Amino acid sequence: MGGGAVKYELVAGFETHVELSTKTKIFCSCTTAFGGEPNTHCCPVCIGLPGTMPKLNERVVEYAIMAGLATDCEIAEIAKMDRKNYCYPDLPKAYQISQYDRPLCEHGHITLSNGRQIRILRIHIEEDAGKLIHNHGDTYVDYNRGGVPLIEIVTEPDFRSIDEAKEYVERLQQIMRYIGVSDCRMQEGSMRCDVNISVRPVGSDTLGTRTEIKNMNSITNIAKAMEYEYERQVELIESGGTVVQETLRYDDADGTTSPMRSKEDAHDYRYFREPDLVTISVPRSRVEEIRATLPELPEQKKRRYIDDYGIPEKDAAMLTKYRAIAEFFDSASDGLQNPKAVSNFIIGQMFRRLETEADKEAFDLSTTPAHLRELCALLEAGKIRNNLAKTVLEKMLDSGKPVTAFVSEEDMAGLSDDTLAEYCRSAIAAMPNAVADYKGGKEKALMALLGNVMKQSRGRADAAAVTVKLKELIG
Amino acid sequence: MVTREDIENIALLSKLFVDESELDSLTEEMQKIVAFADTINTVDAGESDFDNINNLSNVFREDAVQPSLPPSMILSNAPEQAEDHFLVRRRA
Repeated sequence: MGGGAVKYELVAGFETHVELSTKTKIFCSCTTAFGGEPNTHCCPVCIGLPGTMPKLNERVVEYAIMAGLATDCEIAEIAKMDRKNYCYPDLPKAYQISQYDRPLCEHGHITLSNGRQIRILRIHIEEDAGKLIHNHGDTYVDYNRGGVPLIEIVTEPDFRSIDEAKEYVERLQQIMRYIGVSDCRMQEGSMRCDVNISVRPVGSDTLGTRTEIKNMNSITNIAKAMEYEYERQVELIESGGTVVQETLRYDDADGTTSPMRSKEDAHDYRYFREPDLVTISVPRSRVEEIRATLPELPEQKKRRYIDDYGIPEKDAAMLTKYRAIAEFFDSASDGLQNPKAVSNFIIGQMFRRLETEADKEAFDLSTTPAHLRELCALLEAGKIRNNLAKTVLEKMLDSGKPVTAFVSEEDMAGLSDDTLAEYCRSAIAAMPNAVADYKGGKEKALMALLGNVMKQSRGRADAAAVTVKLKELIG
Repeated sequence: MVTREDIENIALLSKLFVDESELDSLTEEMQKIVAFADTINTVDAGESDFDNINNLSNVFREDAVQPSLPPSMILSNAPEQAEDHFLVRRRA
């Protein structure tokens, strides 16, 4: 990257809009359901008719505080709403009710896997705008989305690489889903990222002129847009040009960025206090109440799985990627000595039945955590062997039935030494070639004999004990 | 100091048409308004939190859905509409 002698460093910051999954809009009781026939989720408040009064949805405040706490923000004792004025058809009032100088949450951070901290400057609440459909120069306006509650999460310009940016977006998505404040579906627009990006010579500590890229609807596109914009700025500077501060649109089709027309000819939002809404005050006791409702966050869970259960980091990351999986694991391993075995069954066998990320996220399988726990308890008690447990789990997953439907008392009784010896003798008798091969020095030939014994015992035999017995009998 | 350019800019943002002949008088009036605000700003108000001056806070609504209005009513005041959308024509 960067053709000349000077190496350039990327500097980026994120502004992320996340739609909150409340039932109703931020200032009226219309539904927030996605889609719907045009202008069917509207009322006089959200289409901005004169004389209507907004009334704040309490859950929006609660969700924003949850988001703040989950990202280590300080929660304001006093916050207020402000009007951000701009004239564009997506805003029926010609202003958006947002927060300017007293947002609900400030000064948080998210720590990335490389140890670097991304500082969160603020998280504020605001209303979403309507949807515009442009057609031959005319604009069709649907206000169903107008007034849907958003939080805007603003970071400091702390990103130094595209990988960091990707990880941040994934982590943010994961956290917001865990705490249940948003489904963060980028394709449906319930999570939207704007990236501020600039470049500077490595070693410099002044910021270069930044551009802002909008309109990216996937993590892949964010990465591509950043890559393109980084190269464009470096080439511009190296050829003697200067970067102009402007807002760019990312074009998914050709992978380029191009200037957007400004929403307002003169860019001045003239923020002022929203006179129709009173102050939001958040007593410290309320913050603690909300904190107490937060689930264990993915990073904490991951650490616990690694440190307390000895689960490999890669596996722990898979278990904690979606809350449903982690909760299944927590419930299935509850009270067991060896949660790692539970993890192995989930990752090894259950994941195979979940093809898409959406399937994994839902983690909707016919086997319940209690069923898996029961199976693992039998394994721990030495009542069944690992091979049998694997086979039984497949049957359980096929049928939704508990382990007791497939494992009999006899199976669980284990094998007596006599029975084991009998199986071994019968294997030796049945497979003279394998015996000859083994005697001739082929260690692997023993595996064939072991397989035969396992088959006879329907997986109940202990492989190590069988091996010892076979060697003893062959001599 | 309020300038004629400030007035022109405010007029533009407010979508107001201001005649050239009005600019001087409007600049003067705006200057007086700003001066008034400046006077108020000189008062020592101590530690008062002006964002919460009425001590009135937390007027909330429960998150429960109420029926919306039919699109015919929502669109009834639209200057133009098409296919249940508000229609904004291309500016000539």
